[in-house]
Amino acid sequence: MTAGGRRGRPRWASVWRLLRSRWLRRLRAGLRWWRQSLQVRVLASTLLIGLTALSLVFVYVGQRTAAGLFDERRDQVLLESFRASQQAQQTLSASTAQTAAEVFVLLRGVTTEESTGGPSSPEVFMLRAPAQPAPGQPAPVQVGNTATDPTLVSLISDGLRAAVTDNKQHWQSVAVVNPTTHQVTPAILVGQQVTVPVVGAYQMYFLYRLDAEQRRLDFLLGTLALAAGALVLLLASTTWLVTRQTVRPVRRAAEVAERLADGHLTERMPEHGEDEMATLARSFNGMAASLQDQIHRLEELSALQRRFVSDVSHELRTPLTTVRMAGEMIYAARESFDPATKRSAELLSTQLDRFEDLLADLLEISRYDAGAAVLDAEGRDVREVVLRTVDNALTLAARKGSWLQVDLPAERAVADIDPRRVERVVRNLLVNAIEHAEGTPVEVRVAADAKAVAVVVRDHGIGMTPDEVAHVFGRFWRADPARARTTGGTGLGLAISLEDAHLHGGWLEAWGRPGQGASFRLTLPRRAGMTLTASPLELVPPPEAPSSATPLVGVSRTDPAALPEWTGPFDADRQEVP
Amino acid sequence: MKGRVLVVDDDTALAEMIGIVLRSEGFEPVFCEDGDSALGIFRSAQPDLVLLDLMLPGKDGYEVCRLIRAESGVPIVMLTAKSDTVDVVLGLEAGADDYISKPFKPKELVARVRARLRRSDEPAPEHLAIGDLTIDVPGHRVSRDGEQISLTPLEFDLLVALARKPWQVFTREVLLEKVWGYRHAADTRLVNVHVQRLRSKIEHDPEKPEIVVTVRGVGYKAGATTS
Repeated sequence: MTAGGRRGRPRWASVWRLLRSRWLRRLRAGLRWWRQSLQVRVLASTLLIGLTALSLVFVYVGQRTAAGLFDERRDQVLLESFRASQQAQQTLSASTAQTAAEVFVLLRGVTTEESTGGPSSPEVFMLRAPAQPAPGQPAPVQVGNTATDPTLVSLISDGLRAAVTDNKQHWQSVAVVNPTTHQVTPAILVGQQVTVPVVGAYQMYFLYRLDAEQRRLDFLLGTLALAAGALVLLLASTTWLVTRQTVRPVRRAAEVAERLADGHLTERMPEHGEDEMATLARSFNGMAASLQDQIHRLEELSALQRRFVSDVSHELRTPLTTVRMAGEMIYAARESFDPATKRSAELLSTQLDRFEDLLADLLEISRYDAGAAVLDAEGRDVREVVLRTVDNALTLAARKGSWLQVDLPAERAVADIDPRRVERVVRNLLVNAIEHAEGTPVEVRVAADAKAVAVVVRDHGIGMTPDEVAHVFGRFWRADPARARTTGGTGLGLAISLEDAHLHGGWLEAWGRPGQGASFRLTLPRRAGMTLTASPLELVPPPEAPSSATPLVGVSRTDPAALPEWTGPFDADRQEVP
Repeated sequence: MKGRVLVVDDDTALAEMIGIVLRSEGFEPVFCEDGDSALGIFRSAQPDLVLLDLMLPGKDGYEVCRLIRAESGVPIVMLTAKSDTVDVVLGLEAGADDYISKPFKPKELVARVRARLRRSDEPAPEHLAIGDLTIDVPGHRVSRDGEQISLTPLEFDLLVALARKPWQVFTREVLLEKVWGYRHAADTRLVNVHVQRLRSKIEHDPEKPEIVVTVRGVGYKAGATTS
């Protein structure tokens, strides 16, 4: 909508996003920590269990102690208040008060007397008993209530007041709130009925504060909490230590295993003592030793085999040279032979060529297998290499009736390459494409960007199935064993090409569809040692437009202005290929 | 163009075959079967070219190569069953001018031999200058401040090729064709190794060449003439 509205929202949204991403990150980091550290998990669960158990103990002990203290004090309070009310009753009975004023003074006296003495002395209230259905004679004198602290009278519940009318002792547990500090103190309220001369039944209440008990309880619980805290700390550090002792060797084993996996076969775990960890270390080292032994034996075997292939290839070369030269001499003189001998000389010559190619490829691949292939890289223009290879392939292309279409970038495409190897790769791809193009044009494209140079060789011949694509770089693999081999490839060409590409730190990839042809892409880093991330050219060609079904949207075919409106695959072609 | 060719190879069948091919092309082959006697035969036969197998009984090919090179600039072509970089470069550094890897065709062998024996019949006396060097082309002499510098014929050809067109940058392929006589792409390591060897003889500081200058990504060119 408006610019302002847009400006406001994203700010909040971005802040929210920022916060959320931060939380998520923290959460994720925490989770990772949790997942990755056994020690953390063990420690956390130990702490959790310990804390739960201690809390239960704490609550139980607290409750039991509180109940015990309360019961003890209550019994004491009941006894004390009984004695006090007896005493008050005696005082009241012995008095000679006649008037309301005298009775009131008497009551005040009794009230204050019972509340004096000691810090734990109770508050005393003298309340008129609730109007009882007296038999006819209403009390002649009306005297008010007395209390040592009138503000606390409201604590006496109606239920208690009703219960106290039966001349027995009744009690109730109440909470006293200090009006200034708002501190709550538990207290016991005991009530008993007394008879006051002249005015009749009164209820006498004693309020005993349980501060002392509360203090004792608080102290006890405080001590308990302290002990619990210390216990938790002890538990945590014990767990930490124990898990550390257990986890450390395991971690060490993991590290050693990792180093072993990285090829450091001599890595071993330290073996100390006789415990389970030492046993672990010993069995681990035993395993590593047998692994090393096994690998060493396999390596030796493999090296032996590789050297054998290499030696055989080398040893074959000298006699082959002699045979080859003799063959050439015979071939050169073939015109003077009878037809059968002449044909034999020709066969000898061509098959010697094949034999030689095969031997060369075998030797090359054995060199790769032995890890003896060395990249002899220099900064070279890939266009030149490709052009030269294309030149050399022209004769073959002409013989097979294929056009070679070359698309080179205008600017130099210099990369650190081994020209001999790159030329071999491109030659292999080209010969391969021409062989399978079946007379259709073969396209060679070169492109470069800041990091890589790519060469794509595309034919429109018989193509390959995905299964064939998966095997195309295999040794001695042939797409169709029944196919005539006119150029006599050795079956090692693409395998060597792949090794050549890898030696450069580059890629060699294949694509193919039956009937749509095949495409091979060689991507090389511009600087030796650079890691490739992308290729400047597409491996998979854009889908080909069936010429009859090219869609044309809403415009006349005759209108030249309509051309940009084509939505057919040719547009896609233009967009995808940079 | 007739010439005497010393064939040093322990494989008698191959040596004989090479002899047949060389003789059919009008060369005169001389044979030697082991490394120890190679130098003696070389001295007595005075060949125009040496075909040297690298794997020999007694002294190996590299050693023989060094010994011959120590006393003569005669072209040496290695016969090698190994085309590994290290072997080839070792051979070239030992003083070989060129190499042929087995198996080779007779034509290839003859072409290599011819190329090494070809003495350019350049017209007229020609004096060239490159850096602070003067080159007397017909006299096959290179000198700095009147002092002669000894180069093998191949190194001389390489220097002359660069000096003749000081404005031109030569790619390795062009040099291979001009100096070694390769028509098709060949091993550019030949050029690299010989340029290094040439530099070690003519440059004041081979680490910072001023006479044969590298043009990165292209090839080599002659340095500016200072004298």
